[in-house]
Amino acid sequence: MNKAKRVAGVVLSSVLTISLLLSGCSDSGGPEAQGGKNGQKEPVTLKFSFWGDTIEKKTVTEALERFEQETGIQVEPMHVPADYLTKMTTMVAGNVAPDLGYLSSGAALSWGRDGKLLNLTPFMENDPDFKKEDYLDQIWYEIEPGNIIGMSTAVEGYGLMYNKDLLLEAGVELPPTDANKAWDWDTFVEYAKKLTLDDQGRNALDPNFNPDKIRQFGLQYDPYNMMAAVVSNGGNFLTEDGKGFGLAQPEAIEAIQKLADLMYVHHVSPTPLQTKNMPDTALQTKKVAMTVSGNWALQAFAEQDFNLGVGVLPKLKESNTLLDGAPTVIFKSTKHPEEAWLLYKYMTDPESVLPLIEGGLWMPLKKEWYTNPELINKWAAGNKAHPEGYTEAFMKQTIENGFRTPGFEVKNLDKINALVTPALDLVWTGKQKAEEALKGVEPKVLPLIEGYYGR
Amino acid sequence: MKIGGIHIQHKRRIAMAGILFALPSILGLMLFVMLPMLASLLLSFTDYRIVNTPKFIGLANYIRLFDGTDPYFYNSLWVTLKYVILRVPLGLVFSFMAAFLLNMQFIRGKSVFRTIFYLPSIVPAVASSMIWLWLFSPDLGLFNSFLEALNLPTLNWLYSEQTVVPSIVLMSLWGMGSTIIIFLAGLQGVPRSLYEAATVDGAGALRKFQHITIPMMTPIIFFNLIMGSIGAFQVFTEALIMTQGGPNNASLFYNYYIYRQAFQFGEMGQASAIAWILFIIILLVTVIFFRTSKSWVFYESEV
Repeated sequence: MNKAKRVAGVVLSSVLTISLLLSGCSDSGGPEAQGGKNGQKEPVTLKFSFWGDTIEKKTVTEALERFEQETGIQVEPMHVPADYLTKMTTMVAGNVAPDLGYLSSGAALSWGRDGKLLNLTPFMENDPDFKKEDYLDQIWYEIEPGNIIGMSTAVEGYGLMYNKDLLLEAGVELPPTDANKAWDWDTFVEYAKKLTLDDQGRNALDPNFNPDKIRQFGLQYDPYNMMAAVVSNGGNFLTEDGKGFGLAQPEAIEAIQKLADLMYVHHVSPTPLQTKNMPDTALQTKKVAMTVSGNWALQAFAEQDFNLGVGVLPKLKESNTLLDGAPTVIFKSTKHPEEAWLLYKYMTDPESVLPLIEGGLWMPLKKEWYTNPELINKWAAGNKAHPEGYTEAFMKQTIENGFRTPGFEVKNLDKINALVTPALDLVWTGKQKAEEALKGVEPKVLPLIEGYYGR
Repeated sequence: MKIGGIHIQHKRRIAMAGILFALPSILGLMLFVMLPMLASLLLSFTDYRIVNTPKFIGLANYIRLFDGTDPYFYNSLWVTLKYVILRVPLGLVFSFMAAFLLNMQFIRGKSVFRTIFYLPSIVPAVASSMIWLWLFSPDLGLFNSFLEALNLPTLNWLYSEQTVVPSIVLMSLWGMGSTIIIFLAGLQGVPRSLYEAATVDGAGALRKFQHITIPMMTPIIFFNLIMGSIGAFQVFTEALIMTQGGPNNASLFYNYYIYRQAFQFGEMGQASAIAWILFIIILLVTVIFFRTSKSWVFYESEV
């Protein structure tokens, strides 16, 4: 045994061990390296976490950079494209949460209730530049009166989007943009039938129509958006008093059954199975004539080459729509709450994130952008993502008749949905009637119901 | 005495060097496996929802599983058990057959086939899940096109409660490369002399297979049985990527259920309890297999 060899072995193994241990700490050099830029004070660095596609990533990062230049406060963008909640959960558990960022509504409300998020009320009251009344009334995430953990990152209203050429070809009148003239359900189904074609080009009103070989569907109504039909029929996720399971009430059951009937009775809408095979370009490629979706879909449609039109949703009882949007929050663990608030305020200003709003992904948070024609022209008209009629069908409808999605206010929603989603699967796959499925799951749901936040 | 002293010192040095070399993995095991396991055991007795300080609540997390308060526990156990019962025997038979064929003298281009069979094992699970999503697609998928061409009724594969588990089993058979390799190595280790002796005695191919190959392979079969069962109980990626536990919880595999409880509902305490139950189940199954092994596993060295 050669002594030199042995020494070398010991050295080598020590190096391996040490390098393994050190590699875990290699991040620690970061902050100091950036320091000293601003001289006198210790520079503040905020970590802002968010999700989104490449366009959103670019716009948000640019907005954060402008904020840096204007205020001298450093911001480290943290873009998490997938498994966002898993990442946040892990970071919060490890006490390394970001200072502020997007959060899914369910986690935001339950973490807010447990005191992990900053109550923004004192900041809003003490900031002379900030007026809560400037912002839409529906966007606040409120744990209880006086404890507001944030506002929706953006507003998302729902409406009808369609390929105008297909409707003109079929001789179907274009969907109204005025809420007072919204199609009733029967009219809507009739038009959807006219727009549903089998492989021989026969539409769904034709007695020889073959529902097994559909080439073009009249309508795609993603079950995810079913709450739009429920609120239009006067129902909601919970009963008004917050104690009962609203989806098992007659209004909701009727609405959900009508959606299922679009697939299995009228054959105008793809089943969940058929939807799996629909490309994102279903409107452009004429697989679908009309679709019900949230505002964000406009961004992708604007990049496709087809004649996009928009209208208000068909109504069951009332013409209304859904208003959706996950919140941005400030984590209580932040060491710089004042600076975090400045950034928070900056990001809620439509001017800061204008490309996303103009591009169709977001709707603005401030009221003035819905009323002042000069500001409206900056986003809601005159570009490809916002076709003619948008201001009426989406913009006006959302602020005047927009119902908040359950995510804004229903307590324990994630766990309730873990039961409700499989039950609804049975309805969307045509195995059970809405009444049977929802009444069936109701006894299991009731013990989980805890009412509404903010009341 | 002096010589002996040096000898001991020398031995100690060698031991030290050995430990130092092994230290990275020993430390890794301690820090990243044992410690978290211990932590999760402790957490399983607490009410811990990430955002609160853990509060000791005794066995409550376990009781709510067994008394049926948690609506998913028995469902997910059953689904996972179904998967294990299908996957383990089929996996063993399939990979043994594949290895046996790859070991045949007369097959040409064996190395090409070996590569092909092993290839899926190096494809990341997420990527292969995406591919299989397309193969299983009810309208455009290859499998249904195939069935249609044969005038057979098509299946909904991943999208029906009855077929989702068998579909995932089918997919997992495709990724059996490492098991095949282990079997192959075992087959090549069977002494040729035994076969020659049997040939001299006039034994046919079937008899040779039955009385030489199988007995000589039992340690390998046993190893793959244990590893396969442990792996099958922990099936996860397929549920995460392809089905999200659906339809109607028919593929809510146990590990996916743990993940959902921990990272979607934030119930870390409950998730730890659920995880420990799986650990105990796997431990029991392994012990049972080891007990039975005495009666059917043949070790040449013990003769």
